[in-house]
Amino acid sequence: MTQSANAVSHASLTNNTMIGSPDVVAFTKEDEYGQTSPEPWDLPEEFSVPLHPLADSNPWAKTSYAKFTKDFILISEFSEQVGPQPLLTIPDEPKICGTFDLNYFSLRIMSVDYQASFVGHPPGSGYPRLSFVEDSRVVLGDSKEGAFAYVHHFTLYDLEARGFVRPFCMAYIAADEKKIMLQFQELSLRFSQASECLKAGNRRAFAKELQRKLQDLEYTHSVLQREEGLQREAGPQCVYSAHAVEKANELANVEKSIYEHRDLLKQICSYHRRPRRDPQAVACRRCMTECLSECEELLDKYAKLAEPVSHSEKGGKGEGGEGWLDDSRGEEEEDEDGVKRRPSYTPQLIKAKSAKCFDKRLKILPELCEGTFYEAAVELLKETERSFRGDLCYLHTRRLDKALRKNLRVVNFLFEEELDDNAEDESGTLRPFCAVNHSVDNHVHLNSPHIVLGPDTTQLHPSKPQDPLNVASETSTTRQSELGLGESQLESSPSDQTLETQESSEETKGSFSSDKSGLELAEKRESMASMISEGPDPDSDLTPEPDQNTDAGRESSSEDVETTAGEEDDGDHERDQTPVSLLEVASELDDCDSLNESKLLPPIDAACCMPQEHFLHEASAPDTMSSVQQNSHPKPSQILVVNQEPQALLPVQGEYTVGSPCSESPPTSLELPVGLLGDVASQTSVEEGSDCTLSASTGSDRAASPLGYGGTVTLRERKKAGQGALRFVRQYPFAMQALWCLLRGRTLVVIGSDEGRVRRLVLALALFVPSPGKCGERVQAWLSCPLTLTDLLRWKLIGLQRVGSPVGSSLLYSLSRYSRYISILDVDMKTLRCPPYSGRLLANIADHRTYIRRGSTFFLHIQSTLCRLAARAFLFTFTHHLHLPVSPVEGQEVVESRRRSFLQEQLGLDKGDSQVLLYLSQLITQQYLWPANRSSFSFDYTTSVLYKI
Amino acid sequence: MSSGCPPQSPAVAKSEVAVEGECPLLAATFAYWDNILGPRVRHIWTPKGDQLMFLNDGEITFLANHTLNGEILRSAECGAVDVKFFVLAEKGVIIVSLIFDGELKGDKNTCALSVILPQTELAFYLPLHTICVERLKHAIRKGRIWMQKGYNIISVLSLEIVPIMELLASMKSHSVPEDIDIKDTVLNDDDIGDSCHEDFLHKAVSSHLQTCGCSIVVGSNPEKVNKIVRTLCLFLTPAERKSSRLCRSGSSFKYDTGLFVQGLLKDSTGSFVLPFRQVLYSPYPTTHIDVDINTVKQMPPCHEHTYNQRRYMRSELSALWKTDSEEDIPLDTIIHTDETFTPDLNVFQDVMHKDTLVKSFIDEVFMLKPGLSLRSAYLAQFLLLLHRKALTLLKYIEDETQKGKKPFRSLRNLKSDLDLMKEGDLGIIMAFAEKLRAGLHSFVFGKSFYTSVQERDILMSF
Repeated sequence: MTQSANAVSHASLTNNTMIGSPDVVAFTKEDEYGQTSPEPWDLPEEFSVPLHPLADSNPWAKTSYAKFTKDFILISEFSEQVGPQPLLTIPDEPKICGTFDLNYFSLRIMSVDYQASFVGHPPGSGYPRLSFVEDSRVVLGDSKEGAFAYVHHFTLYDLEARGFVRPFCMAYIAADEKKIMLQFQELSLRFSQASECLKAGNRRAFAKELQRKLQDLEYTHSVLQREEGLQREAGPQCVYSAHAVEKANELANVEKSIYEHRDLLKQICSYHRRPRRDPQAVACRRCMTECLSECEELLDKYAKLAEPVSHSEKGGKGEGGEGWLDDSRGEEEEDEDGVKRRPSYTPQLIKAKSAKCFDKRLKILPELCEGTFYEAAVELLKETERSFRGDLCYLHTRRLDKALRKNLRVVNFLFEEELDDNAEDESGTLRPFCAVNHSVDNHVHLNSPHIVLGPDTTQLHPSKPQDPLNVASETSTTRQSELGLGESQLESSPSDQTLETQESSEETKGSFSSDKSGLELAEKRESMASMISEGPDPDSDLTPEPDQNTDAGRESSSEDVETTAGEEDDGDHERDQTPVSLLEVASELDDCDSLNESKLLPPIDAACCMPQEHFLHEASAPDTMSSVQQNSHPKPSQILVVNQEPQALLPVQGEYTVGSPCSESPPTSLELPVGLLGDVASQTSVEEGSDCTLSASTGSDRAASPLGYGGTVTLRERKKAGQGALRFVRQYPFAMQALWCLLRGRTLVVIGSDEGRVRRLVLALALFVPSPGKCGERVQAWLSCPLTLTDLLRWKLIGLQRVGSPVGSSLLYSLSRYSRYISILDVDMKTLRCPPYSGRLLANIADHRTYIRRGSTFFLHIQSTLCRLAARAFLFTFTHHLHLPVSPVEGQEVVESRRRSFLQEQLGLDKGDSQVLLYLSQLITQQYLWPANRSSFSFDYTTSVLYKI
Repeated sequence: MSSGCPPQSPAVAKSEVAVEGECPLLAATFAYWDNILGPRVRHIWTPKGDQLMFLNDGEITFLANHTLNGEILRSAECGAVDVKFFVLAEKGVIIVSLIFDGELKGDKNTCALSVILPQTELAFYLPLHTICVERLKHAIRKGRIWMQKGYNIISVLSLEIVPIMELLASMKSHSVPEDIDIKDTVLNDDDIGDSCHEDFLHKAVSSHLQTCGCSIVVGSNPEKVNKIVRTLCLFLTPAERKSSRLCRSGSSFKYDTGLFVQGLLKDSTGSFVLPFRQVLYSPYPTTHIDVDINTVKQMPPCHEHTYNQRRYMRSELSALWKTDSEEDIPLDTIIHTDETFTPDLNVFQDVMHKDTLVKSFIDEVFMLKPGLSLRSAYLAQFLLLLHRKALTLLKYIEDETQKGKKPFRSLRNLKSDLDLMKEGDLGIIMAFAEKLRAGLHSFVFGKSFYTSVQERDILMSF
């Protein structure tokens, strides 16, 4: 054995790298085979490592020791009366903790002498000192209980407490230690915010308490003074009775106490001025400034009033304490509105000695912090608990996903959910939390983002510059007359009205009234449609029907284009279908630098285009469109766009094209009821002619939002849709064809009589609609009126009601009328009419034999597949040599064949799959060059086939 | 005690460790809970050299005692090592404490091995936390045996404390930045093959991903080595990059267990000796890349690596248990074998499994124009795809096995459903998933592997 071991020990890895093995020690034992009796010199298991730990047999069982079912937050206190005790859990449900012993765990986490700072009277100091200690953070665990915790220790001030401090801690308790350590900084950040919030409220409450105490003391002082004076007057001179001495001592104690409390007030005022040692302790600056000013005000007030009151002065003011109070304390206070109000607190006579430790009732947490601050902190903790909920691998991947997608804004619009702009806060920006919403512009940059790619990737979409701290405006904030929250604190101050704030507030509004954003989008689309429209083709074969007047004319013109396209041979077709090269279109941008769109362009393509400039100009030379039109849309010869309703849209064209993207549309008399999404193609006269009656009667249907109900489609909804998609794939053998239609941009109409069924299917299929819009604007879940051509421009996936009435026949008529350009999935008949698909790209996501069991898993699978598709489309779009002639003599045909060859040979795609990629690439191009305009109507004519189950 | 005087405080022994460069570690301490005196510090290690902050012995002792506060309530299983992590803003330090039980003078005591760093190093330290903890944990395992035998634990702990100080110092100066400029990598070359052979790059990246992003790059030219190190780090998360190290020109660093990617320089004879034990103790299998001769070798997959690692650890601990004298601390360079386990020293093997994921990425990324953000964006898409596929795979297995309650029997279906028919592709995605869910390889492949190993052992014994 030793020999063989020695032999292997010299085995070299490569010629130059070796495993170091100067010696091999073998511990061989001659033993009978199979004999496993433990020997005295065998290593006991407690000193060894398990060969097959539990994680091997079940990687999900690692957290199974815990006695609680899911993570929770625990707030505990080290009470000076009863010791460590749990106060609150978030979520506040008993079943969350299961059989987990909160008392024991509180004892464990609070038994750490975390601060070890001096409190009380330090040597050489006449007055008690408040200890200003920074928060401390500890991660600890109880391996036996299977519980691990991030514990955030902090102290609050309480006048009644020993050393004036009350130690508290907030703990995030989880069964997975790795989860806590991997998210330590995020947890620390969130809990620091909550702690700062509680402490801010506590300082206010403490100052209030001090104010009351000083009032009491001064009142007591005055009473004692009076009593002492009376006694002195009543008794013989130079002889002091025991009672008088006692009173004098009491008076001295009260005076001392007044000085002590004034000093405490001074100390609490100095809180904000001390340097913070904790880099994560960032408090709202406005709150700090306000609190500071309030404290200073109080200090000024008591510096004057707390001067020893002489008996004669007091006598001059009145006879009783009440009278004194009325003068000094009882003065009416004036609030912000100038309304006189009675003071809320009446001073009381207090004993000079405070109650013993166990006699008094300690304040509860909401009393220690002001209500607003306490509630805000609890709300923040609830939010923290929600955001950290779930398995670490999902949280971790989600975070990575987000970080990676930040660099992919150029393709995110295709299939990804909207990135939350606030996501930056999670990693990069330390935003102080403010209970009264002061901190809108209080950003402090902390660390670089946790998960980011290289720096150049951010060039794709440079982030918005953050507003600097508006310190000047903060300091100019008017002082509050009293402690507590004035109304002015709750309102935004003028300093908050920065551009960013306005934008953010508009965004917030947008989330509530998405009809507005939908409206704008629709307007943009309308304006785009009007801009690209051309006059009716004089060679049109279709004769407009008399009753269709102008609208019919428009439709005939569009149909004419379609027919023409249908007549083209395949090669031409493909050429027309190919996306405009970014380089070609960028040349137009070069011509019109002044336009906003060009300014918004990320550097990548502008740079790409530079060397080919001469080329680009040649390419754009024949274009005679106005500069605005050039920049807004690809040339008709480059991208097939339906040319419709040119005349009717002209009057509104100017307003929509030139105006800012955020401008609201002027209300017109033609406006139809608009739903949440406000699809307002029907607002204009577009609809007027053709299907006026029907559209008007079902206007609300037409404008209804299918997805997200006016807001963004959430991940949860998308996952739910995954279940529907899986069911669809399993149920319909022709699912692949349907998905292919969606992915290549051919409008799919799902028709059925059962609304719920149609809606569910549309929701599921919407996952496959490229560029569905933030709120799913390109999807209409339920429509009960006949289709119009505008609908095809607007929506890529439509749920259509099958009705038996005359409306139904008109509906079917509209379907058959546009059947060349749409695919129809009949839910009732279980049929699909669409062009045939024979590619392989979708085989993996539309295999009805899939063993994927759950919708959420299928959703993840779809996400991966679509991500791959988007990557390929990105590659195709931005691979320069594909879209540009290599030499000046090279014609468009050569370029075209190069593209085709790339798709077929490099990416291994056949015709059907290539169409998908071409469509996605076209969308990327459009999005990249004209982000405001996404609508285009591309189509080709191919014979449809009827698929049945 | 009888006279009423407190007992004399035993002197705290202190070792000063000479560390090259700036060591962010302030001190390491070994403390224990004395049943009479409470928390006591037994030994302090401090780096000798440039330091960011100075703590005197009193402060160190105070902090070390602090780590044992509350541990009187400890009710862990025998042999368990619990980790406590403190961030004490008031003191401006972070402390990592490993709490364990050990026998001192015949009594069971709660002990703490702690490492103290300045709080300013929090962001620097956090990505390295797992590495430090795992290495210290193993040192503690050995230390506990030593304590059981009545020997001095300090000598055993020193064997790991010193390398950790060196590791932290080296990471301070040579860690890979979180943001890597793609211009400093092979992916910025005008064309594939400009600075390294096409197939070599593909193999290197593919194997790197198959071994969970854990690689060592050796070579004679530091620039060349570092270019590959940075290239491989592009495929890691920022936290993993911060746990990777560039190669130092002049004299090479030693191999360090646990780093994701590390560049190592060959010596003047053109060789680099890898310590077998340390390589085997790495949490993931490793890819070995030699940029001089363009070779890529890899260790067996995770489940096999983990199995070998544990068996080796057991051998090492057994060897320690059987040691008769305190002086005979087995050195790291000694390779331990026992009657049931002879380590296969030829741990690095050729990359057997071909993949399509990396192959197509490498082919395609060079089509995009360099010098712009296009390649970075394409890389981001590629990584997004890998992460998503890994999560999908994980979820698939989770569904199939009811979160591990049932054995996984449908690997074939998984491969076809998730388009992972190529072994290399499956290996890459499994490696990503392993990082998300430790033990996944053993769960999926372990059963058959253990069986085959046992069969082999049985057969070999005849």
